[in-house]
Amino acid sequence: MLKLVRRGITANLGRLVLTLISVVLGVAFVSGSFVLADSLRSVFNQISEDAFAGVDAQVRAVEPEINSGETLLRFDQSVLEGIRQLPEVEYAEGGLFAFEQTYSIGDDGEVIRPQGPPVFTSSWGGPSPVSSFTLLEGTAPQGQQVALDSGQATTGGFEVGDLVTISLPIGEPEQFELSGIIDFGQGGTGGAYFLLYDLPTTQRIIDAAGVIDSIVVNGVDSVAERDLLASIDNMLPEDIEVVSGDTVIGEQQDSFGSFIDIFGNILLGFAVVVLFVSTFIIYNTFAILVGQRTRQLGLLRSIGASGTQIRIMVLLESVIIGLIASVVGLFGGLGVAWLLKKLFSSGGNSFPEGPLQILPRTIVVVVFVGLFVTVASALLPAIRASRVSPLEAVRDGGQKERSMRFRLIAGGVVLLPGLLLLALGMFGSIDSTASRLGAIGIGAALTFIGVSMLSALFAGPVAATLGTPVQLFKGVTGRLARDNASRNPQRTAATATALMIGLALITGVGVLTASLLATFDDLLEDALTADLFVYEENQGLSFSAVVVDQLRALPETDLVAGSADVEVLLNDEVTNVVAFDTDTGTDVVNYGIVEGSANITEGGIAVLDTAAGDRGLALGDTVSVQFEDGFVTDLEIQAIYDDNTVVERSWLINRRLSAQHVQLDQVDFVGVTFPEGTDVPAGRLAAETVTGNFPQLTVQDNSEFQEEVQGQVSQLQIVTTGLLVMCLIVAFFGIVNTMALSVLERTREIGLLRAVGMTRRQLRTAVRWEAVIVSVFGSLLGVGMGLLLGWAAVVAIPDSFISTTAVPWGQLVIYVVIGAVIGVIAAYFPARRAARLNVLDAISHA
Amino acid sequence: MSSSSDAPSTPTSSTATETLAARADHAVKIYGSGDTEVHALRGVSVDFKAGEFTAIMGPSGSGKSTLMHCMAGLDRLSGGEAYIGGVALSTLNDKQLTLIRREKVGFIFQSFNLVPTLNIRENVTLPMDLGGNKIDDAWVDEVITTVGLADRVKHRPNELSGGQQQRVAVARALATRPDIVFGDEPTGNLDSKTSAEILDFMRTAVKELGQTIVMVTHDPVTASYSDRVLFLADGQIVQEMIDPTPDSVYDTIRNLGD
Ligand SMILES: Nc1ncnc2c1ncn2[C@@H]1O[C@H](COP(=O)(O)OP(=O)(O)OP(=O)(O)O)[C@@H](O)[C@H]1O
Ligand SMILES: [Mg+2]
Repeated sequence: MLKLVRRGITANLGRLVLTLISVVLGVAFVSGSFVLADSLRSVFNQISEDAFAGVDAQVRAVEPEINSGETLLRFDQSVLEGIRQLPEVEYAEGGLFAFEQTYSIGDDGEVIRPQGPPVFTSSWGGPSPVSSFTLLEGTAPQGQQVALDSGQATTGGFEVGDLVTISLPIGEPEQFELSGIIDFGQGGTGGAYFLLYDLPTTQRIIDAAGVIDSIVVNGVDSVAERDLLASIDNMLPEDIEVVSGDTVIGEQQDSFGSFIDIFGNILLGFAVVVLFVSTFIIYNTFAILVGQRTRQLGLLRSIGASGTQIRIMVLLESVIIGLIASVVGLFGGLGVAWLLKKLFSSGGNSFPEGPLQILPRTIVVVVFVGLFVTVASALLPAIRASRVSPLEAVRDGGQKERSMRFRLIAGGVVLLPGLLLLALGMFGSIDSTASRLGAIGIGAALTFIGVSMLSALFAGPVAATLGTPVQLFKGVTGRLARDNASRNPQRTAATATALMIGLALITGVGVLTASLLATFDDLLEDALTADLFVYEENQGLSFSAVVVDQLRALPETDLVAGSADVEVLLNDEVTNVVAFDTDTGTDVVNYGIVEGSANITEGGIAVLDTAAGDRGLALGDTVSVQFEDGFVTDLEIQAIYDDNTVVERSWLINRRLSAQHVQLDQVDFVGVTFPEGTDVPAGRLAAETVTGNFPQLTVQDNSEFQEEVQGQVSQLQIVTTGLLVMCLIVAFFGIVNTMALSVLERTREIGLLRAVGMTRRQLRTAVRWEAVIVSVFGSLLGVGMGLLLGWAAVVAIPDSFISTTAVPWGQLVIYVVIGAVIGVIAAYFPARRAARLNVLDAISHA
Repeated sequence: MSSSSDAPSTPTSSTATETLAARADHAVKIYGSGDTEVHALRGVSVDFKAGEFTAIMGPSGSGKSTLMHCMAGLDRLSGGEAYIGGVALSTLNDKQLTLIRREKVGFIFQSFNLVPTLNIRENVTLPMDLGGNKIDDAWVDEVITTVGLADRVKHRPNELSGGQQQRVAVARALATRPDIVFGDEPTGNLDSKTSAEILDFMRTAVKELGQTIVMVTHDPVTASYSDRVLFLADGQIVQEMIDPTPDSVYDTIRNLGD
């Protein structure tokens, strides 16, 4: 028995290697997802640990229930003096931290910013190891000095002792002496830039006199941590708290961790899709192998092997393959992780460096998944093998095909619920978009399986039809290609399915992207009437509302409206509302007023129509709103709007009201219009004199803004498609596999063709076109399915996000062509092999 | 080629004026090397005149199939030379050899002669289709009718009996009007009645159309349909018989066996 298994594997080594490849690819993607996420997590954990390793306790403001700011709340630095007086405290230092405030300026006069990651301004937090920063070179900054991270220093060509010109949020740039080069913790900054000053300088340049946002404390050695925390806590006011250093590390790691979890899960999602595709390939290979060995299996049965023994034999083969593939895939995951890193880095984000991690969990999951997928895929073929009758040994001809009626019923049983789920996701009364998309996801998987089963029913005629032009064009070689593509519909269908799934997903993403772009086009036309847009491009960070006032003060501008996101308690629920300069009505941003007036006063509020409907609110009703400073007021509903594409919240208030009640008066978006007849470039020049003081800000006119968003959407499509290309690679090996097996199966026929005068080139042509017909069949199915899925997703996603369905016809054509090209390349080795066969050997091939 | 027999070649015999369809000149074929070396042909020289029906006989392993394969351009000789219509096969590359097979040679195997995806007529015209040549439909129809399959042209090979399949193979071998047709036990799998039909047909092709046919057989009755029987033993031609009858062939085999 084991000997037979071993023989079965060694005799079919070539074909099994190809099967291995498809399992390995899927498994490697799973492994790579884990490896990348784990490695990132370990890097970030290390950074957090290094950064706070020397700290016993941290004092900071209690996070209020509602807080619109992105940084810690600031408090009076007098607390610091109190803590320093405590006998348990060895050392205490105040800290102050801000996003995007100061920047070094390069030789070319431009500010130096990284692509993507933010720029931090911070006070130097005390001597090592208390400070989160490590000096690589030089000394800590004092007075008119600055310390920079090494990345920034390299980019700017700064060396310790140089005078660095620094752009400040208020006033003219100043020169600072570069006192030192630093690293965050021990592990680098993840691409972010740091500018560090001593505390008084930090307070001065970011206009935060007398306040700090944190205090790091080291206790006297003999004092237990608990006692230290207790004694500090005693003297702190209500709204300020003290936590241990370990707590801070834990919090940091959790916040990084949840981001990495999301990232890792997305990758795993793609990996599951790739595995799903692999399943079809593995199934197909085993089905073909069993089919080709029908005679041998019949012989075994006739000399007394039981059906169960045969089944176990085939399953054992799959176990061995699954194990080998899992181990190879596990290490292949390192390569995948490396490739993924490259893929994401190509988008301008820098990935933190660190060793790749294979955790025991990864090994267990990967080996289990690899085994499970392989054995599960081999199950059906194994059962079929066990049903081979002893008579089959003497009967000529291939395996018995299962009846078409069975396929029709089984395919229908899977397809129908799949389509129903799709319909449910699209039209069902499910509120949550996630559930809708979930229904569509499961529906899609079932539909894929159903279509795959049913496609065997029409693969023959369709392949024959697709092959007809090939036949007309290529004569008898085309004819043979066509006939071979349609002669075993089950095999053609299974091979095409793998390609279908990959291309369906890529097409679906294409439809989604095109629809998103189309929606955005409509939006720009209707909703965004501003001539200029000002915002922070990389992170969408908020910036000082001073920009709004300064732009408004320019003689060239007509209307200027800023928009801020403010967290409030609305009828006792934590809610984000948009604070907008409503005096501009709908002239800068048109959010579709359906009732009331757009000029919301300081005592008023506007509500999205659906939110109003849900709560049974109407014009004139009031809601209670509490701001972060504790101020409570009743606001009257003065307008109802229906377009929340730009105004991304369900509530909108007058920004003049919120400005009085938030700690930092900031906006995250400013729209500007010019008076009728103004030359936009000239107006823009004027606006840039204002934004010049805020180097993080981008100024764009209407068409640039549009291109920008289109660029971002396309970038997203490229990354997603890049991940889905894995599916195509698996499908590619599937075609190679099937073609190789088919060529092998037809060895005698090939010998005969060569004997009666087919040239090697003609033979290669025939094999190549056969593969092209199969792959075009798969591509067409895939593009069709992709259209269906894309449409389903567009319908399921709320109109506020995507409202128009658009089809990227050009892309679809390209996908079908890519499918054909995949066929050509996949056929290369099988075709070459076929052409190299010795005529006589081939003819006498058993 | 490198090795050739030391016996003087006799290309110019009394039949030099007649056209030769094919010719072997000191044909040597060695399989394997060293310990496993097998001398399948040991310097076979033979002429196949146009319009002659030759049978080749000999014990199993005597080199009959090897000779046919090398003559038909399906395999290459280790020494000596094989000619089809005056063309030396050893000088041809694979492509040219393929074209010779397609246009100048017909071959009938013992079984598995047909492409399963093509119907009967397509199988018959396959060599011409491969060459992209214009097909002489009338001739193809005539050949198919002669082998008695005119009503089955649209059928697939698996819908035909073994004898019918062999008839299609014969039709295909003749359809291109090749210089020479080789058959390796073409009737070996068939009952005597069916093989008689096919042999009659081959004989007619030789007599009336001047077709040249060479066929391997183990059966004296089959051999008696030919004009001449060559006896092969251990890779060499050991005897030649003109106008054979079943009895004379049978006697010769018996004598050779001793
Ligand atoms: N591919 C090969 N490799 C090695 N030896 C071979 C090969 N083909 C044939 N032989 C050997 O060459 C010799 C002649 O074989 P051949 O097939 O020509 O015999 P044959 O006369 O056709 O026999 P049969 O009547 O059984 O068909 C035999 O000894 C055979 O074993
Ligand atoms: Mg033989």
